[in-house]
Amino acid sequence: MADVKLAIVVQKPQYKGETSRLGITHAISYQTVEILLEDGDTVTPKLCFIGEGVLGLEKGQKAMEAYGVTSSETHLKNALLVDLDVFICKDDLDRFGISTDRLPDAEDMGADKKLQFVPYSEIQKIIDEARHVLFF
Amino acid sequence: MKMGVFVSDYKMAGDTLQRLKADGIVLVLNGVYHAFIKEGGKPSPVLDRASNIYALSEDIETRGLSAGSIDSRVKVVNYNGLVDLIFSDYEKLAWL
Repeated sequence: MADVKLAIVVQKPQYKGETSRLGITHAISYQTVEILLEDGDTVTPKLCFIGEGVLGLEKGQKAMEAYGVTSSETHLKNALLVDLDVFICKDDLDRFGISTDRLPDAEDMGADKKLQFVPYSEIQKIIDEARHVLFF
Repeated sequence: MKMGVFVSDYKMAGDTLQRLKADGIVLVLNGVYHAFIKEGGKPSPVLDRASNIYALSEDIETRGLSAGSIDSRVKVVNYNGLVDLIFSDYEKLAWL
């Protein structure tokens, strides 16, 4: 029996394509459904946002009104609600001039988890420790 | 005006735009980030590539961006305004 660590890294902005939100959905799936890579294994996913991926994290998104799709903000809140560890690259937030108070939490949905703002070195460590790394 | 260019990506459009002589640039989809993000504290160079810059309001709102933090050179237009631009203002359109 082993703990299989997964690093799911979102590096593209949302909405022009489905890729980024698919990454979040994958992470939530691994967290909520018992997906066994091999019998007896447990799976621990970690969701990371780097580069232009951090652009899609602003709160107050109105994707449903404009595009008729759920917002990546909603997906992010759901990730926190299911206690997924979500790491945001602070270096990239700083590079794009995005302050952390512009990003949502899921307190209104009853989530205890918060977004974790970390330097890229921390995300590199998560990638190094993961058995599988998925880029979206 | 002769050429209007639609920019739909945050990256990848800059080099091509440098080669085009655009009279106007319309920021749509992820292109609207050019109107807001100050990477390394500097506004996007895309905003220097034409005298008329527009951004689509629906794409701005979708991304949770606030009109208050938009670059002063950018005019916000809705879909109807966009249609007017396409049919009335430009002889040729390019999509990046």
